Amino acid sequence: MPHTLIIGYGNADRQDDGAAWHVLTRIASRLGRTVPPAPEEGFFPEGEEIDLWYELQLAPEMGEDFAAYDRICFVDAHTGDIPHEIFLRPVDDSPPASAFTHHLTPAACLALTRSVYGKNPEAVLLSIRGYSFGFARELSDETATLVDQAVDILWDWLKGS
Amino acid sequence: MPAQKLTIEPVTRIEGHAKVTIHMNDAGKVERAYMHVNEFRGFEKFCEGRMYFEMPYITPRICGICPVSHHLAAAKAGDALMGCPPPRPASLLRELMHMGQVIQSHGMHFFELAGPDLLLGFDADPATRNVVGLIQANPDLATKAVALRKYGQEIIKILGGRRIHPLFAIPGGVNKALKPEERDVILAGLDEAIATTQVGISIMRDWAEKNMEDINKFAVFPTGYFGMVTPDNGLELYDGQIRLIDQTGEQLEKFDGANYLDHIAEHVENWSYLKFPYYKKLGWPQGVYRVGPLGRLNVAEKIDTPLANEELKNFKALNNGNPVENTLYYHYARLIETLFAIERVRVLLDDPDILSTDILNTQRSFQGQGVGVIEAPRGTLIHHYWAEPNGQLTRVNLIVSTGHNNWAMSNAVDSVAKTYITGPEVHEGLLNRVEAAIRAYDPCLSCSTHAVGQMPMVVDVVDPQGNTIQTLRRNA
Repeated sequence: MPHTLIIGYGNADRQDDGAAWHVLTRIASRLGRTVPPAPEEGFFPEGEEIDLWYELQLAPEMGEDFAAYDRICFVDAHTGDIPHEIFLRPVDDSPPASAFTHHLTPAACLALTRSVYGKNPEAVLLSIRGYSFGFARELSDETATLVDQAVDILWDWLKGS
Repeated sequence: MPAQKLTIEPVTRIEGHAKVTIHMNDAGKVERAYMHVNEFRGFEKFCEGRMYFEMPYITPRICGICPVSHHLAAAKAGDALMGCPPPRPASLLRELMHMGQVIQSHGMHFFELAGPDLLLGFDADPATRNVVGLIQANPDLATKAVALRKYGQEIIKILGGRRIHPLFAIPGGVNKALKPEERDVILAGLDEAIATTQVGISIMRDWAEKNMEDINKFAVFPTGYFGMVTPDNGLELYDGQIRLIDQTGEQLEKFDGANYLDHIAEHVENWSYLKFPYYKKLGWPQGVYRVGPLGRLNVAEKIDTPLANEELKNFKALNNGNPVENTLYYHYARLIETLFAIERVRVLLDDPDILSTDILNTQRSFQGQGVGVIEAPRGTLIHHYWAEPNGQLTRVNLIVSTGHNNWAMSNAVDSVAKTYITGPEVHEGLLNRVEAAIRAYDPCLSCSTHAVGQMPMVVDVVDPQGNTIQTLRRNA
């Protein structure tokens, strides 16, 4: 199996913004891994065939870590501005700059991986529609349902190797 | 032609954090431009009822950009509330973590956010005027920039243990001492971090030399300046009094941050959820001021580390010793502060107390309320808690750095729009300058949630009847 990374990111304290955390915990269970009790305990790469990683946001130094993998699945959430409930697609090759924020997009991180570290892992983005972004750790009912579906989609992607 | 309204609206995960509206008059000129902050920050209410000792772990969740600043400000407010000043070694360690935050945040901003504008040009093709274009144009610089940010992050990680929401500062001190081998790891990366920052300063100087015309017409306006200083008015980022100067550089106030309510009031406008702080004695809007790197270097008379102090002399010479008013010099000031933060890391690590295990004051003397102030990378951050004797919070007031600069950002947008948009046809490069006016202040508008995929910038030209007559969209 190709060396695989599933990296989820978002703020688990802002409801559906943390959808990726919930996806990772379920994937961890299916893989028979220990599930951390809270998002702040995180998932971190441990050199497994399938590594799991959870962060608040993507950052440039991750480009170096990504170079160690054959394929990567980024797991994120999106607003209603994106016309899909769930999508799994290759990471876009034309990354934007975020005008006012310090987080990077998957494409920007991968550009670092390619340009600086000379690696080009296969990369997809799995994104789940968020409906509510208040100060709470519980998902909205709508997004919780989508998370269940997203886990199945991600599992199929993993098995497709 | 009919009056028009241009709207620049970054679409972020929480829709409509902020947008820019440019009102055009009948002659096709800019009449007035505004930056609106559309998101109400409900975080203070969320914190009420919590215990004071929870705040250093709750408040970092406010902001994905400077969680360490909130973490430390909350701990300092807890110190004051419970009357438990930390032992000196704990203060040194907190400051060390704070320097890590400043290094990573400032480094990220200059090289990854401002860099595309400065190195590739405001008018460069937006398809390449981004961090990837920067990497492709100069992969060696990109590698160094990544390493600089990583260096700051490593300091935070060594002290905080966790990578998400570090557990470190607690009211009365910190919960982990620094080990000798950890100190050595941090020291080992210091020279490279200084060298990279000096490369950044060279880039900034070269750019300024070639773009002086832009610098001198891009959002240059007088304000007061506000920031923390040492007792003899040196640059201070962790703990000290607040100094406020007027537009000529004369000192208006120097006060304990705990007394901020005696000096600051907040103005409300119906077009923005974010309030506008100002200096009470001068009133609104005469009392507006700026914070962050430009504000801090204007209030500081010196820097207590040699390399940064030399660079400060060059900064002070830009306006013959008077306050520097140019918004684009925020970038230069940010780099000088980065240099200071790295040099300060060495000072802290060389201090004999840095390895002490005397890191927690367990005495408690309840004070009823407490204020914690710190210079976050983007400006002065104030946490103020009121509590019951059992430590349960009854009221919370937070003034975030971006709030202090609210008027300045909106004024910068207005100034840049009027300067650069001189006719009815608005091309992308001009809009990018408007956006860059906000970016110079490095605001934290995203409130800890993030965009997915692209952040399109949409400009609608709307006639007085509300009809969209032109739409410009760029994939930022």
